[in-house]
Amino acid sequence: MAYRLGLIFSTTGSYAALGRSALAGALGAIEQTRRAGGIGIEPVIRDPGGDPALYEAQTAELLDAGVRNIIGAITSWSRKDMIPVLERKGGLLWYPCPYEGFECNDHVVYLGAAPNHHVVPAIDWIAAQGMSRAYLVGSNYVWGWETLRLARERLQAHGIEVAGERFVPLGSTEHGHVIDEIRAACPDCVVNSLIGPSSVSFVRGLGARDPDRRGRPGHLVSFNQTEADLDELGPYADGLLSAGGFFAEDASPELRAVARTHAPNGRVSAFLATAHAAVELFAAAVARAGTDTPHAVFRATCDAPVATALGDIRIDPVMRHAALAPRLALAGEGRFHVIDRAAAPVAADPYLSHQTVPHIDRPPALRIVT
Amino acid sequence: MTGIPEHNFAGRCALVLHRSEDAIRRVVERCERLGVHATGRLRELDATDVEAAHVVIFDIDSGHDAALPWTPGDAPVPSIGLVGSESPGRLGWALGQNVDAFLPLSALGNLFSALVIAHATFARRSAMARERAEIARQRAGRLDVIRAVIALMADGRDEALALKQLRTMAMIGQTTLEDAARALLSARTGRREEGR
Repeated sequence: MAYRLGLIFSTTGSYAALGRSALAGALGAIEQTRRAGGIGIEPVIRDPGGDPALYEAQTAELLDAGVRNIIGAITSWSRKDMIPVLERKGGLLWYPCPYEGFECNDHVVYLGAAPNHHVVPAIDWIAAQGMSRAYLVGSNYVWGWETLRLARERLQAHGIEVAGERFVPLGSTEHGHVIDEIRAACPDCVVNSLIGPSSVSFVRGLGARDPDRRGRPGHLVSFNQTEADLDELGPYADGLLSAGGFFAEDASPELRAVARTHAPNGRVSAFLATAHAAVELFAAAVARAGTDTPHAVFRATCDAPVATALGDIRIDPVMRHAALAPRLALAGEGRFHVIDRAAAPVAADPYLSHQTVPHIDRPPALRIVT
Repeated sequence: MTGIPEHNFAGRCALVLHRSEDAIRRVVERCERLGVHATGRLRELDATDVEAAHVVIFDIDSGHDAALPWTPGDAPVPSIGLVGSESPGRLGWALGQNVDAFLPLSALGNLFSALVIAHATFARRSAMARERAEIARQRAGRLDVIRAVIALMADGRDEALALKQLRTMAMIGQTTLEDAARALLSARTGRREEGR
């Protein structure tokens, strides 16, 4: 008997690279599970093409057809569109992407990095480097709003000046005025919460107009940049600091093989690894519960940690988030080099209720005035 | 309201009143994940407990005024009503208690929103109550203002000039018009008594 598992990823459209990477991870894990003699899983694949309205329709279609578990969504917008359908029809979404936090829905298992896994360590690292001015730019929707709000609060708590903050329309690739402003403000780092084509055109545009930046580690900061679309940034990504729950450097040979077989770009990314882990968690939970009923599957997945591509993963039964070991990585020569990794998984703190700002000795922020 | 509302409740204490131990457990464990130390009660809240709490969370289905140690509608801290059944009678009772936020038991994942809304609503309600008290105090002082103006007119001023002088006295004394009027009347009464 094969259990049906919905895979809703945009493998076409503006953020297709992320969807393709995640889908590759899920398909690779389904194949590995079958080869290892685990439960049979029949993938039911849909591609919303980056159209927010289609996520809702395709989720409804799969749940009406008897699918009870879905791995998918990339953006928070798509996840938030899927949730009401999951609630009405009793489905469970395994969400494998980093997100901005401040959510805890009974129909979702949150497997990606929460803000205490990405915003907090990245900003603390910025502070530890002695940087004193930051500029924030993001896409004009919930990911941009919330990650930059959290970044701004933590930067200011460290005494770092926010020299400017701009939101640009989703999908916009016109950044000339923002880049002008950044060049005039001379910030030590630019926190980039743009997504998709906006991020690519911004990073390339900034790098082209201000080439000296690339020599400074951490001149650009991202909370969701992975290897899935790193190639699109070219050499302009050099020196970019990214934070997250996984980077390719930590991938096992098996996961690299999955990427070579299934990923169009042949690369491991956090999207690929987390979607892979989502299937491993689903398979283990169904094997424990003997059913794919969402309630039973969720309870079973919380019973004990599961060995996955991300390492041993434990899900908090109350907050429904995965504990992850946060990592910081610097981009260089087309790959990420991990510069810091937590010794053990850290429970997700999606509402940042348990965070304090560590004291970091920083030199006084003096500037030469002429 | 504009800007970011109060949204970090770590270190606060909550009291949870519900007839079901399971419901209490579910609310308490959610609170703890948000850094809020919560304590459950099955029957009623006592005033000492409420004094030490920063927020109270109580069942609307079986709630009644006698279970809550405050004048109905006047909880001393932000309050959240747990919605089970949605009968108009029960919701009406909760509205009469001026519950600051509602949280369906079937959606405890939204506890954070309920905490944010309850704190913001309570702060707004408290500010309005303070404003109302101030307006009432001003109204109560109107007669003193009239008396003070008449007293000043006795020195040969017209009513406009007398009121202007009273305003100047309030400004110099950095007090309200009503308090300045009361001070003036009291001083004049004192002088009359000394002169006898």
